[in-house]
Amino acid sequence: MLKINNLKAKVGEKSILNDFSLDIKPGEVHAIMGPNGSGKSTLSNILSGKKGYDVSGEIKFEGIDLFSLETEERAHKGIFLAFQYPLEIPGVNTNIFLKTSLNAIRKARGEKELDALEFLKLVKQKSKELKFDEEKLNRQLNVGFSGGEKKKNEILQMSILNPKLSILDETDSGLDIDALKTVAQGVNALRKKNNSFLIITHYQRLLDYIKPDHVHVLMNGKITKSGGPELALELEKKGYEGLN
Amino acid sequence: MEKQLIRDFEKSFENSNLDSKKINFKKEFLNKFIKEGLPGKNLENWKYSDLSKIIKTEIGDLSFYNNISPPNKIDSSMYLSGFEHNSIVFINGRAEKIDLQFEEKDKVKISEDFELEKTSSNINSLVNLNNAFTEKNFVLTVKENYSFKKPLVIYHYTNKKIKSQNLNLRLNFELEKNTSLKLIDILDDFSEKNFINTFYNFKLNQDAILKNYKVDIKNNSNIKYSFTNIEQDKNSLSETFILSSGSAFNKNEINCNLNGNYSSAFVNGILSLNKKKHHEIRTSVNHLTESTKSYQLIKSVLENNARAVYQGKIFVSSDAQKTDGYQLSKAILLEDTTEFNAKPELEIYADDVKCSHGSASGSLNENSIFYIMSRGLNYKEAKELLINGFLLDVINKITDEEIKNLIKSMIGLKE
Ligand SMILES: Nc1ncnc2c1ncn2[C@@H]1O[C@H](COP(=O)(O)OP(=O)(O)OP(=O)(O)O)[C@@H](O)[C@H]1O
Ligand SMILES: [Mg+2]
Repeated sequence: MLKINNLKAKVGEKSILNDFSLDIKPGEVHAIMGPNGSGKSTLSNILSGKKGYDVSGEIKFEGIDLFSLETEERAHKGIFLAFQYPLEIPGVNTNIFLKTSLNAIRKARGEKELDALEFLKLVKQKSKELKFDEEKLNRQLNVGFSGGEKKKNEILQMSILNPKLSILDETDSGLDIDALKTVAQGVNALRKKNNSFLIITHYQRLLDYIKPDHVHVLMNGKITKSGGPELALELEKKGYEGLN
Repeated sequence: MEKQLIRDFEKSFENSNLDSKKINFKKEFLNKFIKEGLPGKNLENWKYSDLSKIIKTEIGDLSFYNNISPPNKIDSSMYLSGFEHNSIVFINGRAEKIDLQFEEKDKVKISEDFELEKTSSNINSLVNLNNAFTEKNFVLTVKENYSFKKPLVIYHYTNKKIKSQNLNLRLNFELEKNTSLKLIDILDDFSEKNFINTFYNFKLNQDAILKNYKVDIKNNSNIKYSFTNIEQDKNSLSETFILSSGSAFNKNEINCNLNGNYSSAFVNGILSLNKKKHHEIRTSVNHLTESTKSYQLIKSVLENNARAVYQGKIFVSSDAQKTDGYQLSKAILLEDTTEFNAKPELEIYADDVKCSHGSASGSLNENSIFYIMSRGLNYKEAKELLINGFLLDVINKITDEEIKNLIKSMIGLKE
């Protein structure tokens, strides 16, 4: 589904990613762990098409060269990024934003746009599943949301948009234990339908609820070690310095 | 310019039925204007908008004789549709039609003659020009305890048949005790390169409520100046909303005197400018007695060499204890070619007051754009969404729901 070969990324003179390679197959869950500043968010941003990096190498998503697509086209093709720091957008109603987003994607795919009633039904159902307080949907997007509420809102957006590849950039940071479980439920529900995930986290805890197929360690811009779920446990015990 | 002014002044009043006393009085204003000329950036008030230079480069020499006797045809497509309202139509400065069909006849009085002497002090040279050339002074009086049932829309319409390059218009409103009026000014220009100078005078008696919405959204090459004076008695309220976008140049000046206890003034506005347009809002809110309140929120969105200016002053006299004054301006500069100047001013002579002001400007946040695009919207849509969001809280300051929706639809704002 996603194939990254020798990805290099620089900002100005600073090299952030170096010969980064990764292969994610349909239905797989990959976890990436790595110290602060190792390049995890940079990787997520590049996958979603953020500007401002000098990149080389190759990224293919379902066989298509990702670099040839704009950010919104990647969303249309089914890539979703749950932001580490979701932005506050004043003056934009959350519900209306979600509907606009969903319909933009459906339209680009040649699917029928949802009318207000159909959307309301969908959003009600998903909010309920994720125990997301519906009242918040009438507020401005992320404005005045707590840290955890912002993260949950990202997962709600993910469930509504039903992406093929979801990148979760430290979605678990700042979530309480119940929220963590519901987020995991949301992920597992999508996973059943052969969707893939790239989960960036600092804590093995999340991986108790979402069992990854592969765990990778990212250090200094490249993957230094890969393994199964047991690698996350090992990391938790030894720390990055203790890995060999 | 002097010769032209004198010639055009004489022509304007040679067949007029004004008595010689009045004409002489007008001549005094003309002489004052001749002495001072068009304002330029040597004056503090005009330092960001050099009108004299702008008129010279955009129009050249002005002519002032505007023959308003022949009637104009009203093009009914100019009316706002789907919105019940009273209307007054000005075409090229001539009052073409007054239609107050929704109101009780004996509760509203319109007269054309006005004692010029009463209200015209030496405000500035453009008001002097206005006083010199306006032949008719409209006065609309709302009689005690009467509230207008529907808004009154004043259409300021110009077309290419206009006779002079300078147009002066003078409107006076008196809201007697416990009255209310919603007034919408629609500037609708088909003429080119004219200098349009408007003077509004509002008198709000006790408990009167005025809501005035000034809308300039039609693209045009005219240069406009509008001076609005609002006098407020006890417990009266004025809400002024300015949507400034269409003209090549437009300066809206609001002077508001809070003379009575518990009176309050709200001035909110949007400057949405592109293509080298240069607009200014200058306010002066004067708290002259105890327990008065003012609030101002001005937002600008600028692109393509546009320039916006906001000069906002809050004056609090030594008698004006318990004043509550607030002022904020924000601007989004979409391109490096744009410029925003803000000059907030607080002048406070009382000690028990609550006053604040602030100003901020910057470009659109690229991270926010990326966030929105990652949800499937393209760059243009993301940008529009952010701008709409930015403007929405000014629009939401409009307290009349129907007019709020009207203005939203005019600027294509979605919620
Ligand atoms: N636009 C930029 N300009 C300069 N340096 C940058 C830029 N973006 C990222 N960096 C640097 O690149 C490195 C990687 O940043 P990144 O945000 O990808 O780290 P991370 O792995 O997500 O860290 P964390 O765990 O703290 O979220 C950091 O040293 C960061 O300072
Ligand atoms: Mg990060």
